[in-house]
Amino acid sequence: MYSVETRSLSKSFGAANAINDISFAVESGEIFGFLGPNGAGKSTTIMILTTLLKPTSGQALVSGFDVMTQAKQVRQSIGYVQQESTVDEYLTGRENLLLQARLNHIPKDQINKRIDDILELIELSDKQNDSVVTYSGGMRKRLDIAGGLLHRPKVLFLDEPTVGLDIQTRRKIWEYIKKIHKEFEMTIFLTTHYMEEADQLCDRIGIIDNGKIQVIDSPENMKNAMGNEVISLTFENGNSDDFLFQLRQIDLIKKINVDNNKLTIFASKGTEVIPKIFQISSELQIKIVSISLTQPTLDDVFISYTGREIRDDDTGFNRKQEHAKMKRLRA
Amino acid sequence: MNSLMYDTYTIFWRELKRYKKSRSGVLIRLIQPAIWIIVIGNTFSGTQPLIQSVGFEGQYIEFMAPGVIILTAIFTSIFGGVNTLWDRRYGFMNKALTSPISRSSIALGKMSAISLISALQASLIVGIALAIGVTFPNPFMIVPIMAIVILFSMGFSGISVIVAATAKSQETFWGVINFLGMPLFMLSPALFPLELLPDWLATIAKLNPVTYTVLLVREMMTGVSEGGISALLSIGVIAVFVLVMVGLASYVFTREVNKPF
Repeated sequence: MYSVETRSLSKSFGAANAINDISFAVESGEIFGFLGPNGAGKSTTIMILTTLLKPTSGQALVSGFDVMTQAKQVRQSIGYVQQESTVDEYLTGRENLLLQARLNHIPKDQINKRIDDILELIELSDKQNDSVVTYSGGMRKRLDIAGGLLHRPKVLFLDEPTVGLDIQTRRKIWEYIKKIHKEFEMTIFLTTHYMEEADQLCDRIGIIDNGKIQVIDSPENMKNAMGNEVISLTFENGNSDDFLFQLRQIDLIKKINVDNNKLTIFASKGTEVIPKIFQISSELQIKIVSISLTQPTLDDVFISYTGREIRDDDTGFNRKQEHAKMKRLRA
Repeated sequence: MNSLMYDTYTIFWRELKRYKKSRSGVLIRLIQPAIWIIVIGNTFSGTQPLIQSVGFEGQYIEFMAPGVIILTAIFTSIFGGVNTLWDRRYGFMNKALTSPISRSSIALGKMSAISLISALQASLIVGIALAIGVTFPNPFMIVPIMAIVILFSMGFSGISVIVAATAKSQETFWGVINFLGMPLFMLSPALFPLELLPDWLATIAKLNPVTYTVLLVREMMTGVSEGGISALLSIGVIAVFVLVMVGLASYVFTREVNKPF
């Protein structure tokens, strides 16, 4: 039995397809990442899996239960940490967890122990009796995550867990996610549009765009499939024809693009190729001005599947409309 | 059933915690009814002969104090559901909806909390009334009066929850609530005896549950009953109103929160 499974899942709002015929399966205990640009259908999928939206067609199973017909059992098996912070600001950290414990029917005699343990895990024990309004963004997020796993769900959904946090806090949150995954061994299903996050955390990644899954694989396989490392160099003096001729003799170099004094070299083992380049250049008395080696990142994988890097998301579109409306009203 | 009670209590507990933390709100909500009882209560003190003509012996301010207690209850409870909109906007609602608790327990928890808050606010107004010289023939009546206020507020918090669950924006919510609140107060004998209203107004007033609550609370405070409406009839009307509103609110809330916000 898979932890999360969808079969030809589709959801449309009016004429627009938010997600279109999505099928995937997540193994038990896996950290699975849903990666995609804004408006790709990530949130729609997570809302269907957490029983907040009903799919238009297809089937979704969470922990073996159908989200349509066994919603209650699904809700008993999941933890859901939303993108925006949902803790009550005027309650203390501990009161927030107490609320979460009651919402999820944790047996009364276990509530206090569970809360103590989780507060220790997320390192908020000494702040537990302060109002959340005094917490920083990172602390709130930790409290949110703690709330999502207090009842030890079989599947934990994390919707954009580090959006809007600074890079130090983001890394800290990743550590906590790894820590809780190790401790509780639950399945984690997360959405993100940060490549680095997916790379750091996920066992497997599904790239989703325009409501369709483009590819599912491990981050390593995806990067390896991109193959080449890229060496960019600029040089002065000397005979470029000889230089190029000799460079092309190196086995590891697959391809060279020439732009005057700039070379872009595609090679399979960049770190071994660079010393060879220097050797040839010194023999030919060619002076290398600059050189750099770039390894393929998940960004490159992402762009290769989703095409363009930045796009107008829905919110941007609405803002434009809103702006035009305001202008008309003022005039 | 057991779990419905437990879940309702969970939401009730959370709403009360939030109320306790907003001390400034407690006072701000008292200003308006305090102005009513102090300003209107004294402005119309000259109408004493009129209220005496329907068998009421005391000052005008003693006649209208029950009306202001109900005014406090109406507005505290009918505004009370607004945080449903915040909860939907800021994700608490989704958190509750993805947990195993039932949808109706969310509505019921909110309504019970609003009713209790409404009674607390009303009891503060009772304090103000006592401070400015309104007398209570039987001080122990305060307990059943508060029970009636809680019951009545349950019905009005139902209206509030229905409007909040259906409205998609703050603007819609406040528009509808203001449209409902003030007329329901005005179309009742809160400020003026039922017998002295023009016939058509009295007829409309008799369709208004606020009327029966005001008459009942006034009878409990002063011992004078009006318009031939017995306490039993009033309790019956209030009970039916509350049952219908609570049922309707649970149903509408459950239906509406399942739609995307």
